[in-house]
Amino acid sequence: MILESTIRLPFSYAAGTVGSRFLIALREDQKILGARCTSCSTVTAPPRPFCSSCSRTVTELVEVGPDGTLEAWTNQPGNGVFGLILLDGADTPIVHRILGTINPGTVNAEAINMTPGARVTAMFAKDRTGRITDIEGFIVEQDDP
Amino acid sequence: MVPPDERSRALVSVLGTAETKVTFEDPRSIPEMVLAVVEAALEDAALGWHDIDAVVTASVDLFDGLTASSIAVTEVVGAVMKPETRIAADGLAAAVHAVHQIMAGAYRRILVVAHGKASMAPYWDLTAWAMDPIFLQPLGVNFLTFAGLQAAMLARHDPHAVSRWATTAALRRSAATGGIAGPISVDRVMASPVVASPLRAGMCAPVGDGACAVILGDPNIGDRNLGEEDVRIAGIGHDVGPHHLMIGELTDWAGLRRASQRAYTLAGVTKPTFAIVEPSCLFPHEEELFVEAVGIGTTAPHSPGGGLFAGTAPVISGLSRLLRVVRALKGRTGERGLAHGTWGPAGQGQVVVVAETP
Ligand SMILES: [Zn+2]
Repeated sequence: MILESTIRLPFSYAAGTVGSRFLIALREDQKILGARCTSCSTVTAPPRPFCSSCSRTVTELVEVGPDGTLEAWTNQPGNGVFGLILLDGADTPIVHRILGTINPGTVNAEAINMTPGARVTAMFAKDRTGRITDIEGFIVEQDDP
Repeated sequence: MVPPDERSRALVSVLGTAETKVTFEDPRSIPEMVLAVVEAALEDAALGWHDIDAVVTASVDLFDGLTASSIAVTEVVGAVMKPETRIAADGLAAAVHAVHQIMAGAYRRILVVAHGKASMAPYWDLTAWAMDPIFLQPLGVNFLTFAGLQAAMLARHDPHAVSRWATTAALRRSAATGGIAGPISVDRVMASPVVASPLRAGMCAPVGDGACAVILGDPNIGDRNLGEEDVRIAGIGHDVGPHHLMIGELTDWAGLRRASQRAYTLAGVTKPTFAIVEPSCLFPHEEELFVEAVGIGTTAPHSPGGGLFAGTAPVISGLSRLLRVVRALKGRTGERGLAHGTWGPAGQGQVVVVAETP
């Protein structure tokens, strides 16, 4: 016998000092922040309170993006298209949704030129709530309109 | 053959092994599956419950929702009123922890158990909850997304990568025995649906239900159960990389390289050649990262039974690889094998065991 069940439970996560500043900057200013290490200059974006390279405490936040380079992307049918994006000014990549080009939200992965190295730019949501999804996703810039 | 000057001091002996047949849905409960492998491993070792000093179990609460408060397996591994340590990682990491405990002199014989039931919930959907809750979970990404991104990174400048991976998957599946996935042609792999491009369904190791048990013992206590013929663990290595994807870590399993170097140093391995190698790879691109990281060369044979491509279960993979290595080495003289385990997205956690026969 197999018993069916569903788990549904509200959950609260502390975004932390650095994470909160990042989310507030998205919501209020439509800006993407990275954490710059004063010791080794590595810029980690999205920011974390420690350096992704040398693990020291990081408190200095700098603006990165909103443009960047698409390093790789994957199409997960039923879930979406996700990209690994190196934002301008950042040393570590961000994972986010790729929205396509002409009709954002209706991605046709084959139809758009998503060769690695393509330039992308962040599209911010109209209604922002202080979440990573305040960036709706990234649009692939194309020479050919 | 292991060169005589490389024969190392054994860290622990492997006294017994057992595993369930991996199936898509084992109708038994987790305790029933675990009890079956524990009894079989004790029988294989010719030991009784009273011979076991301590237990190390591997399970991930997220995957079964049962082991967090010792609901599922504490009784059936015989751990009531005994020290039980639980490792939330691949089962081979539990074996490494047991090796530490024996080397520290804390216990003489330890039962190591791993279990996983992917049939309890959609496995890849469940892995979404193991992602960072601030930056990743709201996007809907899961371990399969990261595998796709990793494969995409590797295929960037390699136009033959995808067809090579289809060939690898077909090759492993053709060798699969007793698992849940049978032979498949390269054409059928390439025609199977995309699951996370460039990965297709036919390239992915099927994940089902299974349990595995291994009994480890101190090789120096010299009782009748620790005979000369036992396979010994001679080297262990373990490494955890960053959760957030880094460009370099995606195309190079640096953590596995570090883990294998640690294991080789302990085992006295100067040139990594093995009679058997059992990687824990769910995707063919991971095999290429594995071969590069452990330094065995592309022609070294591995996964004689198809590896995980024959079918595996969450958490058990690495421990069941150790079981395959031990069974392959048993009865042979002066041979060495390598078992590998990994957990987390895109190979975040890595663990290596070098086993050998005297
Ligand atoms: Zn730094």
